[in-house]
Amino acid sequence: MGLPWDSSQPTPSSGGPLVSATPTTESQESAAPRRPRLVERELLVPFIVVVACFAAWGVAANLTDVLVGVFRTIFDMSNLQSSVVQSAYYGAYFLLALPAAFINSRFGFKAGMLTGLGLAAVGGILFLPASQMLVYEAFLVALFVLAAGLSILETSANPLILAMGSEATATRRLNLAQAFNPVGANIGVLLGAMLILPGLTSEAAKTIMSAEELRASQEADLFLVLRPYLCIAAVLIILWLLLAFRKMPELPGEQAVLAESATPGAASGGVAGRLWRNRRYRYGVIAQFFNVAAQTCVWTFTIIYALDVVGVSTSAAGWYLQASLILFLLARFAMVYLLGIFRPARLLLLMAAFGVICCLVAMFSLNMIGLIAVVAISASLSLMFPTIYGLALEGLGEDAKFGAAGLVMAILGGAILPLVQGAVMDAVGDTAFGFVVPAVCLAVVAAYAVFELRDRPHRPAVPETAGEAAS
Amino acid sequence: MSARHLVPAAVLTAGLLLTSCGSEQPDVTIGLITKQEANPYWVTMREVAEQTAAEENVELLTATGTSDVDVDSQVEALREMTAQGADGILIAPTDSTALVPAIEEAREAGVTVIAVDTPTEPESAVDAVFATDNHEAGELVGAYARAKAEELGLEPRIAILDLAPGISSGEQRRAGFLEGFGIEEDDPRISGSLDTEGDRELGETAMRDLLAQDPGINVVYAVNEPAALGAVAALEEVGRDQDDVLLVTVDGGCEAIKDAVRPGAIDATAQQFPENMAREGVTALAEHARGGAAPSGFLNTGVVLITGNPAPGIESRDVAFGVRNCWGD
Repeated sequence: MGLPWDSSQPTPSSGGPLVSATPTTESQESAAPRRPRLVERELLVPFIVVVACFAAWGVAANLTDVLVGVFRTIFDMSNLQSSVVQSAYYGAYFLLALPAAFINSRFGFKAGMLTGLGLAAVGGILFLPASQMLVYEAFLVALFVLAAGLSILETSANPLILAMGSEATATRRLNLAQAFNPVGANIGVLLGAMLILPGLTSEAAKTIMSAEELRASQEADLFLVLRPYLCIAAVLIILWLLLAFRKMPELPGEQAVLAESATPGAASGGVAGRLWRNRRYRYGVIAQFFNVAAQTCVWTFTIIYALDVVGVSTSAAGWYLQASLILFLLARFAMVYLLGIFRPARLLLLMAAFGVICCLVAMFSLNMIGLIAVVAISASLSLMFPTIYGLALEGLGEDAKFGAAGLVMAILGGAILPLVQGAVMDAVGDTAFGFVVPAVCLAVVAAYAVFELRDRPHRPAVPETAGEAAS
Repeated sequence: MSARHLVPAAVLTAGLLLTSCGSEQPDVTIGLITKQEANPYWVTMREVAEQTAAEENVELLTATGTSDVDVDSQVEALREMTAQGADGILIAPTDSTALVPAIEEAREAGVTVIAVDTPTEPESAVDAVFATDNHEAGELVGAYARAKAEELGLEPRIAILDLAPGISSGEQRRAGFLEGFGIEEDDPRISGSLDTEGDRELGETAMRDLLAQDPGINVVYAVNEPAALGAVAALEEVGRDQDDVLLVTVDGGCEAIKDAVRPGAIDATAQQFPENMAREGVTALAEHARGGAAPSGFLNTGVVLITGNPAPGIESRDVAFGVRNCWGD
């Protein structure tokens, strides 16, 4: 949950092992004399370390959502300037996705993990000089390095989990690991809500401060930001040490997963063209871009809406983002049930329309009802990534492995659209009106759902991929 | 160390750590006396004082009157707090002169007294005054109104909704407005001036009367937001478009900022910060009680122009800033 996609889906590097692994293994399982272990005993410690990584990047990603409002206050910036935080973070994720895949295929998953952990830890430590320099751009560099490391880490950790045992238990293993990601995401927001937001110097106090006092308050506030990132860096270093100095036994599935991962790259030339000519896939990528954009926009500006529109205190504002994440998580379980009743595209249309309505309520109801609507948008977002993912890849056959990469790289929407929302808010001078941006994004998702319903009018409920992903 | 000794040692260490983490007994007692609790302005002041007292490890005594003119309750509170050994008292006087004898009594008993929000007359009756610079507040909205009138090409016909005679904050705001607008008391562009006592209904009545005298009024200055909200109602009653009338005021409460400044019915307000009065007051008294410098003179607790429609050359903050820093709901 930390990042907009459900990373139980194959990442660019992991190709499509999840989808192809499950059906074959269940038949093997029934015939096997011994039920395969979830994780082999000698791999238990590395497995725990990798699972901890899933939580770690959840913490970092959602702490970033808190940072936009925090930096706006500390550096007295515009919404556009402060939302560059998300561009640095998601931009790094986007840019590092393919290099990460290269590291994995060339040097193996352990090397990828160590590179990612190391780079992310360096990013966390870079908050230290940044907080002494009192320069916003230095924090952006630190965030970019942190996110770059986490991108490599995530790209390596997903297939590594798959390779850490029998193919028969791969899906369960990955689902177990993924369960720790939303835990981390909630911890990330909790850290921001408890350690950073309540301690910030009030804007009223700053109105009567001298230049020296202002600088001292800025230092004190940036120290609050520094603490959680240093904690993250410390955890990442511990994980790095646990992984680096522990001899990793041969991984049962590494070669198979690597071979799967390598396939998309090798075939990329013709496949890319073929995929782009496929209208369903192309529209799916566009819908995913706007879905990720909507999610990042909403979570980036939830705290700011609470502060600017409703006048919630700084110490209480973080709890509304926390509520959004919890709702997102709970709604996911509800969606698994509803996907058994409704066609995925129909449910996608319903939820996208619900999201648009929530955005409109947020734009025109400038009070607590508007804030509740902002929180409620997360319910509509909860099913979107896996559902669009499943619909767009359906029927692509072997091309699905490469197609998955395109869908995951739609994360670029999270780097670009928050800037647009920040610019709209600044231009109009109205924080609430900025929610027109996620409204448009969700309307694009709704349009994609309508296209799907018209293009495949007789499609049954519960596509396999969407059902798996939502679980 | 054997395991047998390790457990008691760990318990002892944990106990010592817990003891060191626990807060010490407050060694300083400070009192806060506000005017009333019906107005969220005073509620904010008390809440911030309580928060600051906790941070400073200070015992805080609080008391409030029943209205803005309740002198007796404040006199009683001053005496009670002095008897309870308060080191310092913050008081928002309901009457600038009537409270002076009780304040002097407290000071003679060794209590340091700071007037917050409203100064005493004479100002020397207290050790220090922590308040909004009301002249500056008026000047900010006056300068804004002038710049905006010029931008819109208006021939100003000004209505002034005052507080009441003899109340210094109202007089200072009015003088500041006139100076900011660049006019004198007898300027012919002033269509009329009436007192409102800072009350919404009286503000509405006054605005209605002024509009009856001069329907062409296009600039309105109101001494505070309740009076301004009354003016908004009167202007709506006669069908005046809010875009045709410049309405400026002083305060920064949430109701006016969200319901009138945000939609543009009030063009600008000068926001004051009761939280600064409380925080700076408690901190100054605590520092003095612990051997620091005695508070003295006047501390300007800040004022910021809030508008959703900035005027050229006039520094202001947007409505979002106003919402984040307003008081009340």
